[in-house]
Amino acid sequence: MNRNPTAFLKEEYDELVKKDFDWKLRILETGSSPHSVVDGKEVIMLCSNNYLNLSNHPRLIQASIDAAKKFGAGSGSVRAIAGTMKLHMEVEKRLAKFKGTESSLIYQTGFAANAGLIPQLAGKGDIIISDELNHGSIIDGVRLTKTDRAIYKHRDMGDLEKVLKDADKKFNRILVITDGVFSMDGDIAPMDEIVKLANEYGAMSYVDDAHGEGVIGPDGRGIGAHFGIEGKIDVEMGTFSKAYGVVGGLIAGSQDLVNFAYNKSRTWLLSGSHPPAVAGAQLAAIDVLETEPEHVKRLWDSTNYFKKELNSMGFDTGESETPITPVIVGESSKAKELSNRLFDEGVFALPIVFPMVARDKARIRTMMNAGLTKEDINFALEKFETLGKKLVII
Amino acid sequence: MESKIGFVVNPIAGMGGKVGLKGTDGVLKEAIKLGAKPIAPNKAQEMLIEYFAQYSKKNNIKWYTCKGEMGRDELINAGVKNIEIVYEPKNKKTNSADTKNACKKFLKIPVDLILFCGGDGTARNIFEIIGTNIPILGIPSGVKMHSGVFGITTRATAMMLHEFINKHLTIGDAEIMDLDEDRYRKGEWNIQLFGVAKGIVEPNYVQVGKMSYESVSDDEIKDELTEHIEDEMEQHSGFLFLFGSGGTIDYIARKMNIKNTLLGIDAVYKRKIIGKDLNEEKILKLLDKYKKAKLILSPIGAQGFILGRGNLQLSPKVIRKIGLDNIIVISSPAKLANTPLIRVDTGDKELDRLFSELDYMMVVIGYRFSRVVKIQTNNF
Repeated sequence: MNRNPTAFLKEEYDELVKKDFDWKLRILETGSSPHSVVDGKEVIMLCSNNYLNLSNHPRLIQASIDAAKKFGAGSGSVRAIAGTMKLHMEVEKRLAKFKGTESSLIYQTGFAANAGLIPQLAGKGDIIISDELNHGSIIDGVRLTKTDRAIYKHRDMGDLEKVLKDADKKFNRILVITDGVFSMDGDIAPMDEIVKLANEYGAMSYVDDAHGEGVIGPDGRGIGAHFGIEGKIDVEMGTFSKAYGVVGGLIAGSQDLVNFAYNKSRTWLLSGSHPPAVAGAQLAAIDVLETEPEHVKRLWDSTNYFKKELNSMGFDTGESETPITPVIVGESSKAKELSNRLFDEGVFALPIVFPMVARDKARIRTMMNAGLTKEDINFALEKFETLGKKLVII
Repeated sequence: MESKIGFVVNPIAGMGGKVGLKGTDGVLKEAIKLGAKPIAPNKAQEMLIEYFAQYSKKNNIKWYTCKGEMGRDELINAGVKNIEIVYEPKNKKTNSADTKNACKKFLKIPVDLILFCGGDGTARNIFEIIGTNIPILGIPSGVKMHSGVFGITTRATAMMLHEFINKHLTIGDAEIMDLDEDRYRKGEWNIQLFGVAKGIVEPNYVQVGKMSYESVSDDEIKDELTEHIEDEMEQHSGFLFLFGSGGTIDYIARKMNIKNTLLGIDAVYKRKIIGKDLNEEKILKLLDKYKKAKLILSPIGAQGFILGRGNLQLSPKVIRKIGLDNIIVISSPAKLANTPLIRVDTGDKELDRLFSELDYMMVVIGYRFSRVVKIQTNNF
């Protein structure tokens, strides 16, 4: 047959460009710092996940260098064959202790954790029950299974109970899955109630705490610690790539969970393990969280100040309870315009528009960084105020 | 690019409401005698003014309309310029024939969308001429608005028009429903499903990346629903399956090579049709014969009714026999977003109470994928 086998590559890309759905990559010329140079312009960074600025912490950088010098640039294999180093095991041991769980397992990325583990936890005849606003990687993990799926209204425990009641009669295993901190609104899943309901109906509980690790709970120990239910959530999943300042996914829970997970997750079994430099920095990140509480404290002080000032200017910051502060402006075009003009003025924050959020709830999503000084925050606030008035948002 | 919009107002729509008549079809004189005043022209104008205040600068529209109160006057009053008159009613007092004649002209052009102001009766008249050739958007103004073509308010209609022109909204099924007014005035409440038109709907979205979504066509969703129903039939191979009415269920049946009816209730056993467009009596007979049955329903019309509108053959006796547990409700997520409640009005208080005790139903929105939806039985 006469066909151009790769014509679709250009056609589909062009279609994305036409609809303005393509990603226009912003290039960082510095590290991911509170003050970054992006596309040649110095900006205050309000859209990285480097909440605690640990990616620039001297102890993490040094640990990374030391580990590379001692153990080399790569790990040589997948974990299951010859790529498990003592260093990897040490990270897992320390992480479990930090999070107050029996055991933990490091995945190559957070996405690999969800995509690898979720399909193993439920199959045909089972059901996965999910918050309607769960993050994409959970949704993909859920899609990879032959299990039934049901969604409940965002954070609505009455709704969740209805689904559980219905599922109890019809299915074998039941898995309730939720984001810990929701990435668009910055609100927190009522994990204590979810665990209680899950226990009542014999369901497993699974939380994707990517935006909560290192941020919520005492010393940033995550959502289990935040609600005082350490070790009670069946799967606490998280990431090293956000507040921990490195890269990698993690799960924390029972030894049974970990044994099951590393024997069953194809993403874990079939990807190379983290290079020593990564594992060294992960270990240092846990060290820093355990011994330097000032980072988490500063993150929250700055978050509270930033939110309070935005609210007193008249901005709507929604239901946020975390350092993710949405600045809701209304129409999508307005959010895009505000984001562009903020960038021109030296503040980097991305617009979130329909269909990620409701048509009339387009917003700028800001994420606080513990490395920002009060001066920096005031600078950003001043830009928000001036542009907010110009664009008739406040 | 210039959009072509056909615009028609039914000036007498809505007049029956304030004087206690369910519509003006055939009883205009009586309505006027009771003191009814025209509503539709004001509603149409309200929507146009809202539209032009919010969006006019962004869109380029050529308006095709009718003379006088059937469209031109409202457009002129709202300050619209790019107008072409395509139809002139013969009498000052217009009627349904005028709406239909205007639509014949719209069909000939053809316009991209028909924007009309009226109620269910007007929607039905338009549908009779246009069928599924052109999408329809209604400015709510009539007494009865059960059809799925209406915006919720004049303001929402203005936004829908803007979003449609900018391709953010897409074309999907919209049921055309109307009360049988003669029977109603005799004391019988009988909403009939007349057909499935094309309306403007929100696309179904799936998240494809961290911060990116793609819209999925209605057909893809319906394909998933079809797989789900096929699975159900396989799992319950000894069951009789009753297929309800409406566009979604019709699609599923056709996909499964089942020669069903769009508007009626059909019976299927082992993937073969064994009864078409059944009335209550025939359904009961089949239920006696087959003992175990499942009923597939989808919300119909603007308000999300699954029972009591457009399918009265599914009588309380039929529903009791099937059992509430054997009702499968399916819907595209986008449709569910528009009607966040599913409504039940069986006409039998005791049965309605059983539904209200359920409090919610799991509505299937994709292949083995469902969500909780509240049931509303108190509909008046």
